[in-house]
Amino acid sequence: MASQIPSNLRYTKDHEWALIEGDVVTVGITDFAQSQLGDIVFIELPEVGTQLDSGATFGVVESIKSVSDLYAPISGEVIEANSDLESLPEKCNEAPYESWLIKIKCSQQSELEGLLSPDDYEKVCEE
Amino acid sequence: MADTLKTSLHEAHIKLGAKMAPFAGFDMPLQYSSVKEESKAVRESAGVFDVSHMGEFFAEGQEAVKFVDYLLTNDFSKAEVGKAVYSPLCRENGTIIDDLIAYKLSADKVLICVNASNIEKDYSWFEKHAPKFNCNLTNRSQDFSLLALQGPKSVEILKALEVFPSEDFTYYSAREVQSPFGPLILARTGYTGEDGFEIFGSHESISTIWSKLLEKGVVPCGLAARDVLRLEVGYPLYGHELSDDWTPLDAGLKWTVRMDKENFIGKEFLSTYKPKYRLAKLSLEKGIPREGYEVLNSSGEKVGWITSGTMSVATGKGIGIALVEKEKFPEDKLFKIKVRANELDANFHTKAFVAGGHK
Repeated sequence: MASQIPSNLRYTKDHEWALIEGDVVTVGITDFAQSQLGDIVFIELPEVGTQLDSGATFGVVESIKSVSDLYAPISGEVIEANSDLESLPEKCNEAPYESWLIKIKCSQQSELEGLLSPDDYEKVCEE
Repeated sequence: MADTLKTSLHEAHIKLGAKMAPFAGFDMPLQYSSVKEESKAVRESAGVFDVSHMGEFFAEGQEAVKFVDYLLTNDFSKAEVGKAVYSPLCRENGTIIDDLIAYKLSADKVLICVNASNIEKDYSWFEKHAPKFNCNLTNRSQDFSLLALQGPKSVEILKALEVFPSEDFTYYSAREVQSPFGPLILARTGYTGEDGFEIFGSHESISTIWSKLLEKGVVPCGLAARDVLRLEVGYPLYGHELSDDWTPLDAGLKWTVRMDKENFIGKEFLSTYKPKYRLAKLSLEKGIPREGYEVLNSSGEKVGWITSGTMSVATGKGIGIALVEKEKFPEDKLFKIKVRANELDANFHTKAFVAGGHK
């Protein structure tokens, strides 16, 4: 059961996806992540305006049995948070690539190059 | 790394695509489809768990019942033949070695089922005390496989398999039966709060029964669903609510410590013991209590900790059991749970989170 890895996105080793549109990066968790977590029942997201450093914890996703931190793939300001997910966390299981968590206004363009390509991410999943 | 143990159904779990995880030295199924689906199946129809990792001891002989009764804090001597008793197993100083179910199969034959993680510790305790009694003790944990068939449709299903013994086989009954699958030990017990059965048998018999149950549409359930189900009905789990470091009186099990019994190990100590802790069942409107989270009173002072927590599938709320220092137990029953940086108001429950359907 190979998980889906859309070719238009970039990824992190922490199983998050990133959609880059100019200097705005939309972040979510991957199909692999949701399938490993199982039933997602709780999501905690940051306030709009929060300044994030690359790699910092920005929120939490909880399945029935586990708690996992969410890590900022790049540095920048949170300009939108998908608060609808807080009442419908199961959307992350059903449609992980439509269920974006936050949008970050990228403050360091060079960090975008550090994100993984779909091919590189596939290798991370196979490890 | 020590060799990981496997139950006789290990291959069947892998074939079903179960997510496996180490538990008490065994490679056990955590979940098959989803924890939600599995726990719903048990509450609404029927699910089956492979719990073959658990330990089975037998005490046989003229003083078998007397022997077991002396080691348990609950009253086993008064139980009728054909009935089971849940009990802690305590040391002289009241601390808990394990919690278990003892099944009075006949006047001189007792089956004792213990937690997998405590098999060796428990057996040495039983062995240490057995010589004073006229009975023979054996550890048959490797010889038996064990299924827990749980849910409101369990009776109907066992009848269809021609394993259900008779209408007088009520809650906590236990019996050796001859079945189309060979000899079994059947008990109307479980760990989910629902009606259901635990079926002890040879690895071959249990393997056949497992397949038959799945053919009948019984949902295979993993340990993750089992933990949700037991927490919803407020059952304690060794290593969480129960431990080597405190007594049954600290963990809401006063009803299992029978001071009216003639004698048992721990009686003297427990008869004058003032509990250090009191158990509290707490839920959150938003957020999930997790093991180890701090429990606070309304002014934010730490009074205890969460021993088990999960998202309840049946109620859709985060639920948890806490041990609270008896002296700090707030009279107003207003608790907060520290979830990461937030101190969240908790609801205090006097009853189980979910009623459960067993009769």
